[in-house]
Amino acid sequence: MTWNYSQKTTELFMNAVRGGPGSHMGEIADPDGLGEHGSIACGDALRFTFRVNRHPSDPRLDVITEARYLTFGCTSAIAASEALCAIIEEGSYTPIGALKITNDDIVRYLDGLPQQKIHCSVMGAEALEAAVFNWAQRRGVNLAELGIDIQRDEQEEGRLVCTCFGLTEPYILRKIRELELRTIPDITNAIKAGGACMSCHHTPGGLQDLLDQVWGKQPTMLRELPVLPTARVPAERPRSELSPYKFAKEVERVIDQQVRPQLHKDGGDLELVDIKDLIVYCRLVGACSDCVAGGQTLKLLVERALKDEIDERIRVVAV
Amino acid sequence: MDVIYLDNNATTRVAPEVVDTMMPFLTSDYFNPSSMYDAASGPAAAIKQARRTIARLLGKVRPDEVLFTSCATESNNTAIFGTVAANSERRHVITSAVEHPAVYNVAKELERRGLEVDFLPVDRSGRLDMADFVRALRPDTLLVSVMHANNETGVLFPVEEMARIAKETDPGIIVHSDATQTVGKLPIDLSGTSRHLDLLSFSGHKLHAPKGIGALFMRRGTRCRPLLLGGHQEDGRRGGTENVAFIVGLARAMELMAERRDADEPRIQAMRDRLERELVARIPFLQVNGAGAPRLGNTLNVACHFIEGEGILYQLSSHGICASSGSACTSGSLEPSHVLRAMKIPFTAIHGSVRFSLSHYSTDAEVDRVIEIFPSIVANLRRLSPYWDAAANRPRPEAMSMMDSAAAPHS
Ligand code: FES
Repeated sequence: MTWNYSQKTTELFMNAVRGGPGSHMGEIADPDGLGEHGSIACGDALRFTFRVNRHPSDPRLDVITEARYLTFGCTSAIAASEALCAIIEEGSYTPIGALKITNDDIVRYLDGLPQQKIHCSVMGAEALEAAVFNWAQRRGVNLAELGIDIQRDEQEEGRLVCTCFGLTEPYILRKIRELELRTIPDITNAIKAGGACMSCHHTPGGLQDLLDQVWGKQPTMLRELPVLPTARVPAERPRSELSPYKFAKEVERVIDQQVRPQLHKDGGDLELVDIKDLIVYCRLVGACSDCVAGGQTLKLLVERALKDEIDERIRVVAV
Repeated sequence: MDVIYLDNNATTRVAPEVVDTMMPFLTSDYFNPSSMYDAASGPAAAIKQARRTIARLLGKVRPDEVLFTSCATESNNTAIFGTVAANSERRHVITSAVEHPAVYNVAKELERRGLEVDFLPVDRSGRLDMADFVRALRPDTLLVSVMHANNETGVLFPVEEMARIAKETDPGIIVHSDATQTVGKLPIDLSGTSRHLDLLSFSGHKLHAPKGIGALFMRRGTRCRPLLLGGHQEDGRRGGTENVAFIVGLARAMELMAERRDADEPRIQAMRDRLERELVARIPFLQVNGAGAPRLGNTLNVACHFIEGEGILYQLSSHGICASSGSACTSGSLEPSHVLRAMKIPFTAIHGSVRFSLSHYSTDAEVDRVIEIFPSIVANLRRLSPYWDAAANRPRPEAMSMMDSAAAPHS
């Protein structure tokens, strides 16, 4: 699969990794707003910081003058971070005004993103939102009073729907509405939910149920049911008259008494790996394990002793 | 810009000698080998000769034990679905957690069809535990299918030993190995050390033949149904007009690999070892995946902590260097490769894996170039990473503690 990024995306990426002029890579020390999104375990993470020109009397009129990012992620995640910072700096936004920037704006700035990479732009918008919330706290601005609700706690509090990416029901529901996600692939492309083990797709309360909850139930294709196992006919194998427990005890006794002492003399030992009916699996350890004649030793020594003492039909398999 | 091709576990350059051998069958000798007229005898004889050559190179097996297919995926599908279909009294299959998708997804499909499948785990170096294998064997075990070498890490599996143990336990167990990464590179003796294997898959394009040709070794007497039904080609075991030119090319490529092996393999391994040594020496927090396990000499899989693989590949590519990654962004899913996950590579490194795989055509100068460029590519991305302290050139303290909790790498 090759890259089909826009020229803009690759330019921003290459400029960033080269530390070229105009790159927004970095972190503002003692910032006015700091927001993070994603995690290294999930494959991408963004730390976004901004500085404002403080308004002397009304913090709501602060203007963002500088934005920086540090991003762990793929080519498009880094380009999307650059785009986010550039949009903000170019627009002289107030933090509250910056909340209007959506992932679509980032995609547009990049001249488009491949479908599977949309989540990179969503990550940028999320980190921005978190940073504005952080700014509001620092500056004592009550966003709720302004009619802006940023649900910072939904990730911690809701029912976990996609365990692979640690995403909860309230968060996924909000994103389904905000980003108008209609199908499971839409969800995966935008916020990654459902993109790993896929077990959250059709379970009760899973992604499909959340989609149905928001958009109403759509007719779906019948999914193929797994074929039930057919009865199996175990192959006939000779068994000992002893119970498996007794048999194993006997094998261990004979090995302890007759085999181990001989191996110990050479600084080696024997490990009993498994017993299946009359087949005894063991391996040489210690000094004996490198011995070329190892397999032979096992066969001759162990098998003979076990045959003589317990059952003529015993076979030894060297592991 | 010259391309530095270090992705030979994905595909290889077609050897010019192979192309030469194939040309007549793409031009003048185009006849269908199944036809009756004299002109068709050329292609028919060429196939026969190719089959003999390949049989000899696999350890003097019988020519009729070599089947031609379109690719290793087809060989694997035939081996697995075919034996399952022909042995319905048994319902248990053993494979590994790190197989190529051409086996892994077939095994998953078997589960869906009601068979029971054990996926043997691997340790942090990518090794299988033989005791796990022994314990997995059951009276109704139908098939054991374990790859000879892993495509991502190059880790080698003791399939000969596993086959022997399986057969000593129960001669009815069928043993298959996907040897796509080893045929050509390693000598394979299906009459000697590998005599307990019943089925062995491989393809041409991993050994300097073109894409579109594969083979399946099927030992006489192996109960296996065909996957492709059609004409009587391959003794009815695989229908479809023979791909004459490619079959001839495959045989020629295998001959070349065998002729060059003694000179090539030590040289390739020395280059790989040097690449590994130099990168480890120059890049902090770089982990070699599969180190500590026996490995193919041409493969180097490294994981760079705290950065993502796609950005690495992109920069490599801008320097003309071709490599691959097991990171989520390059896998087409949102998860990193199942192989690296099975090896429990820590999550701080798993997204930053890069695989270099060398071949006969790799040169010291190419390796030098990677040694020169790769460290700066890694450093570029780490400067952007929220987990990296660029000034101190080390992870930030909080990232360090994540590394500990992320299952520290096995050294
Ligand atoms: S739980 Fe959602 S992808 Fe695994």
